[in-house]
Amino acid sequence: MSLSRRQRLRLVRGGVYTATVAALVLILLAVDWGALGGALFKWEIVKDQFPDILTNALRNTVIFTIFGFIGGLSLGLLLAIMRLSSVKPYRWFAATYIEVLRGIPLLVTLLILGFGIPIATGWQWPNPYVQGSVPLALVASAYIAETVRAGIEAVPRGQMEAARSLGMSYTRAMATIIIPQAFRIIVPPLTNEFVLLIKDTSLISVLGVTAKTLDLARFGRNGVNDTANATPLVVAGLVYLALTVPLTQLAAWMERRSKAGRR
Amino acid sequence: MRRISRIAAPVLALGLILAACGDDNSSSTDETTAPAEETTTAETTETADTTSGTEDNTATEVDVASLGLIADGKLTVCTDAPYPPFEFQDETTNEWTGFDMDVVREIAAGIGEGLELAVTVQPFDGIWLAPKAGTCDMVASAMTITEERQANALFTDGYFDADQSLLVRAEDEDTLNSLEALAGKTIAVQTGTTGESYAEENATDATLKSFDEPAAMFLALEGKQVDAILQDLPVNAERALKDDKTVLTATFPTGEQYGFAVAQDNTALGDALNAGISELKANGKYDEIYAKYFAK
Repeated sequence: MSLSRRQRLRLVRGGVYTATVAALVLILLAVDWGALGGALFKWEIVKDQFPDILTNALRNTVIFTIFGFIGGLSLGLLLAIMRLSSVKPYRWFAATYIEVLRGIPLLVTLLILGFGIPIATGWQWPNPYVQGSVPLALVASAYIAETVRAGIEAVPRGQMEAARSLGMSYTRAMATIIIPQAFRIIVPPLTNEFVLLIKDTSLISVLGVTAKTLDLARFGRNGVNDTANATPLVVAGLVYLALTVPLTQLAAWMERRSKAGRR
Repeated sequence: MRRISRIAAPVLALGLILAACGDDNSSSTDETTAPAEETTTAETTETADTTSGTEDNTATEVDVASLGLIADGKLTVCTDAPYPPFEFQDETTNEWTGFDMDVVREIAAGIGEGLELAVTVQPFDGIWLAPKAGTCDMVASAMTITEERQANALFTDGYFDADQSLLVRAEDEDTLNSLEALAGKTIAVQTGTTGESYAEENATDATLKSFDEPAAMFLALEGKQVDAILQDLPVNAERALKDDKTVLTATFPTGEQYGFAVAQDNTALGDALNAGISELKANGKYDEIYAKYFAK
């Protein structure tokens, strides 16, 4: 072969691009777009999903997510601080909690807590929102705790030392110096956590749903039953995207900005 | 080399997907005829033992190749399991068993000797669309024949009468024995079932809570999150029999019948199944299986 390294590379790359374009064209030609549209995006069915999918299903998904996130963040913060504490039992408790709740699938945790607690204790969940949000928040807190811990550890040690040498107590230094800086670092990963939570709410319906408490995914699945067509699922998927894509873009933007700010 | 392969990987993947699609089409149309018949003769002796009594059924001669089966020598069945006593896995042998499974296995043996059962489990939501989607050849899932479902699938004749019923906690036996008594209470139903439709139409004063599966409904009943379960009689009856904390308080004759479903254009398989059902009823096999699961 008398080709130079660069020539060979260009040749291969050209071949790969051509093959990719050819494959895409083949797929575009092979797909029966009319049938696909009829099966996945039938316009009359799309219209039927509104406004209920927004006023009812989206509302419930947002409620579950927000309760789950607020609960998860507060508990996660507490767990992160326990995890970094100098008191051993705190550390042990936090480590065990995080391991257990991260190690069990959310679906199983939901079933165990949602059904198991009333059966075992006779205590009743006050309403379906609490019943679904509490397990969600408990699992989220385990993940958030690890994120927060990483954020706290990423704050330079000198910050704590300086604060202590100015006479601040450990608690005060943590609350006013370390955690605010840590949060600036973890806002992007926390946003991703929030997006995960939005999607995880789709599991809550295993605990049973009434017409008032169904979430986006359940709404789409019920729609499939009612219409014998997959369009409602596609519409539900698009509504999820309308929630999640802006958030992930926001996270990416914040990440870029904070990188620029620290430089 | 490394850099090249990184670019090439997606293309290769695409190529593989395309190749796989191509293969699927050809195998289902061209190759089914010859090998299917070869395997039937080869495996006759083995399967005859497990299905007990295939020799009576050979009267219905069906050309297996004309049934358009998605896998050679196998009748692939979609079902939402476990749903005892209709479909569940035997704890020791792991074999699919239950009323539906036994009936289908028996019919399959009648269609073609050595025709084996392959089971695909999927949620009940829209399960009747599965044959059309090519997931399986037929659905056997304690599924009631309804007009809505018939719009999208070809149903066989009814093979089982299933009424709706009410299961409540044992302590409510005397109070919650009708839909009227459940006004203001919460009733559990399974999503997408005829029980759900029946409750929507007839239990308008109660709150309906829908679940994915019977197991979740039983847990919710035990945990007092719902006050009653409205679903197909055989499933509630089975539970009441096994679990003395629950009791069956009402049945609602609805004239519902279970049917098997195949893809709308697959009349060959539909006819073969219908022939199988009537034959099983004629030769006593149906009663035998019925007695095994619904002994009074």
